[in-house]
Parts: sequence; C-alpha cells; structure tokens
Amino acid sequence: MNGLPLSERIRVDWNALKLSLLLAASTLGVLLPLGVWLGRLLAWRQFPGKVFVEALLALPLVLPPTVLGFYLLVAMGANSQLGQWYQALAGRQLVFSFDGLLIASLLFNLPFAIQPMQRAFEAIPPEVREAARCCGMSAWRRLWRIELALAWPGILSAAVLTFAHTLGEFGVVLMVGGSIPGETRTLAIALYDRVQAFDTAGAATMSAVLLAIALTAMAVSYMALDRVLRPSRHD
Amino acid sequence: MMRPRALRTFHLLDRAWFLQVLLLLTIMSPVEARVPVVAAAADLQFALPEVASAFERTTGKSVRLAFGSSGNFARQIEQGAPFDLFLSADEALVQRLAQAGLTVDDGQIYAHGRLALFVSANSTVAADAELRGLAASLEAGKLHRFALPNPAHAPYGQRAEMLLRKKGLWEALTPHLVLGENAAQAAQFALSGSVDAGISAWSLARAPGLDTKARIVLLPAEDRAPLIQRMVLLKTASRAARRFHAYLLGPEAQAVLQRFGFERPAPL
Amino acid sequence: MTDSCTGLEVSLRQSAPIPLSVELTCGPGEILALVGPSGSGKSTVLRCIAGLHTPAEGRITCNGQTWLDTRARYATPTPERRIGMVFQNYALFPHLSALDNVREALPDRRAAHARDRAACLLSKVNLEGLEHRRPHQLSGGQQQRVAVARALAREPRALLLDEPFSAVDRATREKLYGELAELRRELAMPVILVTHDLEEAVMLADRMTLLSQGSSLQSGPPLSVIRRPDSVLVARLVGQRNLFTGQVLNHRTDWTELRWHSLILKVRRQPDHLPGARVAWCIPPEGVLLNATRAEREHEALIDSLDNPLPARVEKALTLGDRVRLSLKTPEAGEETLAMTLPRHLGDRLELSTGSRLDLRLRGSDIQLMADSTLVSPDP
Repeated sequence: MNGLPLSERIRVDWNALKLSLLLAASTLGVLLPLGVWLGRLLAWRQFPGKVFVEALLALPLVLPPTVLGFYLLVAMGANSQLGQWYQALAGRQLVFSFDGLLIASLLFNLPFAIQPMQRAFEAIPPEVREAARCCGMSAWRRLWRIELALAWPGILSAAVLTFAHTLGEFGVVLMVGGSIPGETRTLAIALYDRVQAFDTAGAATMSAVLLAIALTAMAVSYMALDRVLRPSRHD
Repeated sequence: MMRPRALRTFHLLDRAWFLQVLLLLTIMSPVEARVPVVAAAADLQFALPEVASAFERTTGKSVRLAFGSSGNFARQIEQGAPFDLFLSADEALVQRLAQAGLTVDDGQIYAHGRLALFVSANSTVAADAELRGLAASLEAGKLHRFALPNPAHAPYGQRAEMLLRKKGLWEALTPHLVLGENAAQAAQFALSGSVDAGISAWSLARAPGLDTKARIVLLPAEDRAPLIQRMVLLKTASRAARRFHAYLLGPEAQAVLQRFGFERPAPL
Repeated sequence: MTDSCTGLEVSLRQSAPIPLSVELTCGPGEILALVGPSGSGKSTVLRCIAGLHTPAEGRITCNGQTWLDTRARYATPTPERRIGMVFQNYALFPHLSALDNVREALPDRRAAHARDRAACLLSKVNLEGLEHRRPHQLSGGQQQRVAVARALAREPRALLLDEPFSAVDRATREKLYGELAELRRELAMPVILVTHDLEEAVMLADRMTLLSQGSSLQSGPPLSVIRRPDSVLVARLVGQRNLFTGQVLNHRTDWTELRWHSLILKVRRQPDHLPGARVAWCIPPEGVLLNATRAEREHEALIDSLDNPLPARVEKALTLGDRVRLSLKTPEAGEETLAMTLPRHLGDRLELSTGSRLDLRLRGSDIQLMADSTLVSPDP
C-alpha cells in the first residue's frame, strides 16, 4: 500500500513492542522494591517535610509530560554533569538511549508505583503489626507473612498500573529518547510514526494492542482493589 | 537509643537495591550490533524504505530508518543522538553540523525536492499551480484550515512560507494555519479531510495509493529554487552506514528517488 | 527457665507526647488491674511494657531480666521480650485462620507438633472446631478468645490485656470473666489488665493501680483502693459521692474524733492525720444507714460502736430497678448533700418523698480521712 514490504513493516512493529515491554519490565524491576520500601516508609512514619515529599512524588501525575521531558533533557543532556559522566562510562550519550528512557520512565512512574502501595500499607491496622511483633516474629517474617500478605493487592495494582503506563507514555519518551528505531522507538511512538506514514492499518493494529493492554491492566487493578475492600467475598 | 532492628534490615535492602539498579543499567541497554540508524527528512517517508529494502536485497545488510523534520534531527544530533547518516531536506542544516565538527565532511547533494499543493477529496478549494483557487477560496471566506510543515524547523515549511509570502497569501492564511511537525504530518493533515488544503513535499504525493483521495498539484520550481537536499555521514558512522551512503548516490537508488518525484541532483 | 520469679517491675516517666509518671509492680501469678479514665495513659503504660513505645525515662524488669533501662540506653526489642498481648480490638491477622494466628506466636512454629499445640490452645479457650475459620467469620467473643490463645501460645513471661472485654456484649463478657478466672489458676506469670471499669477490676484483679493523667495515684487490692482512697482525687475517680471536709480533733484509743460542722463524729482510728488538721473525708453510700429501730438495737451485732446518728431530710428520691437512690440534706451539718441507697421495698414502706425526715446513722468504720482538703468547699 505504501511501498513497504510486509516483512519490513512487521519487523518494525515487533521491535517497538519488544522495546516497550523491555522498558516496562525494567521499570518494574526497579520500582517494585523501591515502591515497597518507600510505600512502607511513607505509610508508617512521620517526619518533618513529609507532605512535601509526598507532593514531590505525586508531581508526575499532574505535570505535563513535556515539562518533565524538558527538565530531563536539561539534567541528562550532553552538557549536564550526569550526561558527561554517562558518556565517559558508556561511550555514548544518555539522552536518545534506552538508559535515558529508563531513567525518565522511573521518574514519571513514581506516583503510579508508590501511591497504591502506600495506601495498601496504610490500610494495615497498626495493631496488627504490633501484634506481629508481640508474637515474636522477626522483621523479615513480619514483612513477608503479614505486611506483604495483606498489602499485595495494592502492590499488584501498582505493578499493573506502572506497566501499562510505561507502555503508553509518549511525550517524555519522545523528548528524551527521540524516535530511534530499536533503541528508543517504543510502541506508542511507533504508532505515531505509522500515522504520519499514512499507514492506517499498522497504526490500528498497534492501537488495538495498547488498548487491550490498558483495559486488562485496569481490570486487574480493579479486581485487586475489590479484593482489598471486600475480603469476606473471597473466602 | 538502640536502633530498631527493622530499620537496619532495610538499609541492607537499600544497598542491595542500588546494586541491582546498576547491574540493570549496564546489561539492559539493548546492544543492536551496529545496524546503522538513518535520520531522514520526512519527505523521504515513502521513497527511502524502498531504497533501503533494495539495498538489503543487494548487500544483505539492513538499515534502520527514522523520519522527522530536518531541523528537529539536526538539533538532536547536536545533542548527541546516535545517528549514522543524516538525510536533510535543507543544506543549511548540514553546513551547520559540519561547522560544529560533527560530520565527516560537508556532505553530498542527493536529490532536489519540490513543493506541492495538497487538496483533500471533500474540499471546495480549486487546485491549480498558481494558487489562484486558493486565493479565491480565501477571499470568499471558504477556507477554514490550511496545513503546513512547521516553518520553525521543517525546511518544506520554510519554503512554503516563502512561496506564500511571494504570492501575497501569507497574511491572510496565518489565522487558518495548522502546523505539522514535519512534511509527512502536514501532508497527512491535508489529506485527512479535516483540513481544506495544505502545502508539503511533492515526493509524498507520489506515494502509491494516495492519488485517488485527493488533488495534488506540483508547484512551479521557478518561483523558488527547489529544495536542495544534502546528506552527510556523522563522525560515528559505521562501515555499513558508509556503504548505504554510497548506495544512495548510485543509479538504483536515484531511480527510486526520481520515481517518487525527486529531481536528479547536479551530476557528481 | 533460669529466670528468677520476681514478676514485673515498672517505672516510667515522660512529659510528652503523653505525660507519664508511673510506678507499678506485678508478681508472678498476680492479676494487676490498671484502672483510670480515658486518656489517663493506661494503654501507653501497657505499650511501654510490651516494647511498642519507649518512654523518655524508665526502667522495666521482668523476672530479673532488664527489658528497658533508659539510663543505660538499653531496650530489648518486642519480639525478644516474650510477652503475650491481647489488644482492645484483638488485632488478629485477618488473612490467617484461627489456628494459623495462634501458630505464629509459638516459639517453635515449624516443629512437627506445632499444629497440635495450637489446636490444643484453641480448645483450652473453648474454640474447638473453629480452628479453620478466618477472623471475620468469628463472633466478637470468639475473636477475643483466639487473641488470648495467641497471647498464651507465646509462652509469655507476662500477659498484657488492653481493655479486652470492652468491645463485647454483656452476656459474652460475663462468660469471658469466668473463663479468665479459670485460666488464671494455671497462669504463673504476671498479668496486667487495663480497664476503665472499676467493677471489672474488683471482679478479676488481685491488685489495682489507679491512673489519672499519666500518674499512678494509688495501688492496692481493688476494694481497698475503692473504700480507702488516699486522696480526694482518688476518691473522685473511684466514684465516691460523699466528699466533705472536717477537722481532726484528737485520737482516742479506739477511734478518732472528727468535727464536721457542729457535729462530732467517731471515725475509724487514723492516726496519720494530726489533731487540729483540716482533712477531707468520704463515706460510701453503704456506710449511710437508717438508724436502728428499737428491735434492731437489741441485736448488739448490728450496732457498731462507731455509729454516728444524723437526722436528714430527703431532697430527691430516685427509684432505679430494685433500689432507691436518695439524695439527702443534713440540716445539722451545714445542709450538705448526702447520698445513700435503700432497697426498694424499704423505700416503699417508708413512703419516702421530697421533704420526708429520716434518722440516719453514719458508720464511722467506713469513714476514710484524706489529706488535701482544698478541693472541697470550705467550712462555713
């Protein structure tokens, strides 16, 4: 239809999907443990300036992606400290690379990862945790048997939301990563590309994939939420 | 007071996590063993992939293509984007990069581009090379939206603006403008049906299957010199990229480009 | 166990966030009730003993082992203290069955016999057959019992109960009192029971410590604290309504003379108060009786040599159930208000109403003298 052989088209799609999945998985790999740690901390501790920290962590929710993208370019670009350090280490630029995307992804997913987990930990009654201490359970056993066991719907929700959100992120990825095939052209960007290339079929396919993932993510997330709010139903 | 045990264990977790991140960063970067990445002006959207697959059939080597506005690419290259080859729609950008020492040489002209007027199928604007139909629609107040590549960074947009100013239509058109990020997006807007007409690259009009949707008219070259499209290898270009670069100047590639409406560059 | 069996010794002091100034001890096998109004710091004291809260200053030892010593900057973490705690809302692990809840507290939960041990504990608290239910499938009383079983599973050195009966209905509560009373025969450890209900303390505890605004005011057997308060504050907290001021005249061999307005009362001998000193004094409603009839007077046993006759006038008579609560005025003692109760049948027979005159006697042996007369209205 537009001169591209079918094999070429499909190859680009898979590459983009693979990249998107890799980015989402890597983001999860870092943010899950970080989220558990920070979520617990914010749920159970008070410290001066806590409200400020929470607001900062929630910022990517309300910040226009291009603003975040801009600040990231400034912080990671060729002229920045971080950019130069990375150049020395890896021999290439941090921006327009997958690593740069990963850093951006970690930042703009912070609220998606941390907030559901924080809420889940907050929902554990303090006396239950105290009772666990009184029962002689070690810190690790408390974490595993009580805290994670009770908070898992929130953690699952966080994981699913983070995953889906990363797959769909566009503005920041475009600004920080450009659209370099195989390196930073994620599925969402590839979709944009296909539209510009008058390839409606390709764009439609990719949109359907992203839509399906988003719907599944929301469904899983709500099921987990339902489980937290109405435990009696599930016995 | 004695530090609570829980806090100490979490500092341990903390350290392990940082190690994990470092490891992740160093191994996770996908190492595509040097398949060259080409940054190409958007007007090559249809022509270049054909060239690339011919190249692959001939040499067995593949290239990765990225399309966008030349100005945008130039900026990204200045910021260190890892492209091997840059096919610009505007030589001035290549010269800029060469002066910054980012290229191997001053580059080569690979084609000349032309402007075209795009009018979508359901539009009332009459399409003609002198833009008289356009002027008439403007005067009659029948023109609502007009698409253009963004003159701020797209060469086709800059030329379109120059042409429109010359014809005295720019002032009247300004409130109706819809700016595409690059030539391809502008053409896409123009043909989408939600825009009355637009100006973009002639090479995009020659894509197979598009003619039936719209009226596309080549705009005369003598009004404005054709866009001199220059390409250049970046300093980090791999050997495969250099081969592709050479191929582009060769007869097979040039044939494809001409089929899509580019004009032959001055003989080498 | 190589611990010495000296029980719990607790000393706590802090000014914020909740002020505390508490000294208490609880011997092995003893039930100590910590009583006080809401906000008096009872739960905080319990939490300090459990290690869930560290006070600014304090020292806690149990059976010779030091659990907390702020001066030496030492605090044993909660899991190591081996305490069994029953929380006010039970704090059961909602996602685990009753059996698993109890099993988590066993010192050797992985051992082969752990399940049996947990099941045995549950049957001890009369929950046989309910081992596999989750907390939300159990009634309040059942959850409470699981909490107790879990606390005992720990093989604790001390058992701490934080208002464990407050969330339960009356009938269940009565049943649980009985069970706790039976259980305690086997318990060889100090047991601290926090409650705001004096009656509960009287029913269950061997000793009681009264707390108010973080300070321990008086300790002793519950009835002793209630009937013989140390101070006006304690008297008020235990619900003494008959609080007056007087002046000690002198101490006779068998009694103390107390001047109250124009009357001279014979009271139980309390030589700690110096003659001439102004004191506060209280008498429980049970100590205010109708003056004996001639027939009764012939039964010597009914007459206490320390009875003080007192004419009074009924101001209010309120029938509540099977008793009549009377509020009386004392014309010969400055029109003070006296509270007393009568069995209903007696009230009906006497046809009491506002203005009726009654001859009363105050049991001197029930009169408790206290220092600190400044909080009561001054003598005319």
